[in-house]
Amino acid sequence: MEIQDIIVSHDNTQNHLDGVSTTIQKGKITTIIGPNGCGKSTLLSVMSRNNIPKSGHVSLENKDLIQYKPKEFAKKLAIVYQQNDVPKDLTIEKLVSFGRLPHNTMLKKNHEEDSKAINWALACTNLLDKRHNDLEALSGGERQRVWIAMALAQQSEILCLDEPTTYLDIYYQIELLELVKTLNEEHGLTIVMVLHDINQAIRYSDHIIMMKTGQIVAEGAPRDVITKEVIKEVYSVDAIFNEDKKLGLYMVPLGI
Amino acid sequence: MTKKIVSFTTVIVLLLVSMIYSASTGSIKMGFFEFIGALFDEGNSQMEAIRDLRFPRIIVALFAGAALSVSGVLLQSVMRNPLADAGVIGISSGAAFVQLFIISFFPALFFMTPVLAFMGGAFACTLVFVLSWKSGLSPLKLILVGIAINAMFTGLTEAFISLGGSLNTSASSVVGSNLTMRTWSDVLTIVTYGSVGLIGAFALFGWCNLLVLQDKTAKSLGFNVARARLIIAAVAVLLSAVSVVVAGVISFVGLLVPHIARRFVGYDHKVLIPFTALAGALLILVADTIGRTIVAPIEIPASTIMAIIGGPFLIFLLRKE
Repeated sequence: MEIQDIIVSHDNTQNHLDGVSTTIQKGKITTIIGPNGCGKSTLLSVMSRNNIPKSGHVSLENKDLIQYKPKEFAKKLAIVYQQNDVPKDLTIEKLVSFGRLPHNTMLKKNHEEDSKAINWALACTNLLDKRHNDLEALSGGERQRVWIAMALAQQSEILCLDEPTTYLDIYYQIELLELVKTLNEEHGLTIVMVLHDINQAIRYSDHIIMMKTGQIVAEGAPRDVITKEVIKEVYSVDAIFNEDKKLGLYMVPLGI
Repeated sequence: MTKKIVSFTTVIVLLLVSMIYSASTGSIKMGFFEFIGALFDEGNSQMEAIRDLRFPRIIVALFAGAALSVSGVLLQSVMRNPLADAGVIGISSGAAFVQLFIISFFPALFFMTPVLAFMGGAFACTLVFVLSWKSGLSPLKLILVGIAINAMFTGLTEAFISLGGSLNTSASSVVGSNLTMRTWSDVLTIVTYGSVGLIGAFALFGWCNLLVLQDKTAKSLGFNVARARLIIAAVAVLLSAVSVVVAGVISFVGLLVPHIARRFVGYDHKVLIPFTALAGALLILVADTIGRTIVAPIEIPASTIMAIIGGPFLIFLLRKE
């Protein structure tokens, strides 16, 4: 996916994305990080076509995003938002089956393919034995997995995740990031996500985009991007870095 | 599953019982078996009267109840708001006013009444939507806007009738609902348009189910949320407009019935829409039958009975919100 000179303004006085250009590499995990209000979620919403930029182009497979029909685009890219209202009286399986929408029309349905995709999505997210449970009865971590399962049922090549770990405790955070890794490594999905935790970003990403006030400050492989100087510049936080044999690179914030 | 079957069976049985009871009760009274016998007796003069007077009234009550209840389900789905009801938020009174207004000036358009009512309802619905959109269609805001719109259209209608009282004597039948003296031509109107609306509503159950998702999530699935909203709302307005034309404004049905129906059959619109139609038909038929028999020969309109039950019910729902 090619992103060129994107400008987005929510209120026409201030640019929330100010000339952003980058390339999302196929088959890799790309993580967007940066302080609150830096425009990372906005960038993700531009990629998922939920936000139409004031100027600039986004193209996927050499075709401008706006030229895709809604369902055609939904087969290419799926997104899971940070917060989702939980509908009443809906089973996991039913919700996940909504992910099949782009593959069906009102008159034409392929039930065999649908159930195959739904089963695959439920298996990936470890929800097979809970498929008939009600959504309301689930924990936060399980709910987040259900929304991911719905996105997986779309069978898109790209999966976007907007702060997928924000409301989860540390156990579910790790579980979710491991799931993301598996989806990338075993099923070849291209992942684009927004994270807050810098150590998680280092550990789980192939490529990091660091943003500040609507612009990209640095991007590249984690160890090239996340340095003492960049952290100081972007977050105004002093940090030390350490290299552990098992963990790899990790950061400890010291103070402001 | 069994709960759903039991619920459907119960409502259908109750519906049949109240239909027979309603047809055989009133100034001409018949026992159950006497009635069934007379039903197949061509020359029975009492049956002639029942056929001409009570049958149309029963059919109109059934269809009006079904149409209003299903319109409530659709509006609640479209507005993602459990408190939406065509009567409460002014769609019915908008339909009533526009219909009355245009017919008074162009009586020749009488045959187009349902279309005019639809236009009025659509206008009121658009107003409510636009005015409460900014608040994210929050339930309370929508109700407040709706009540204001409803008051405005009801006021306009009343003012219009006071001004031209002698001009249009049939006007008052639009304001207060009364199912007396319905004819077979009323039946034809409500059955034709009502069936189109009800079948249309059922065909849209999949879209209604998808609207439980947040807009951005539904969009990310390639679902055209705006188009679905528009079409579902149009069917809802059609259903309430046609019942206004034939049965007048009856509030709270679209609020009460779907809420009770969800308790019995759940939230899946594939089951909810048909069940709501049956339960709504039952409720209005019962309300109308009670209204015309309880203090006979004086009649209490079904809309009055619905207001007496519905008002407290709305307060109950508001407290729960």
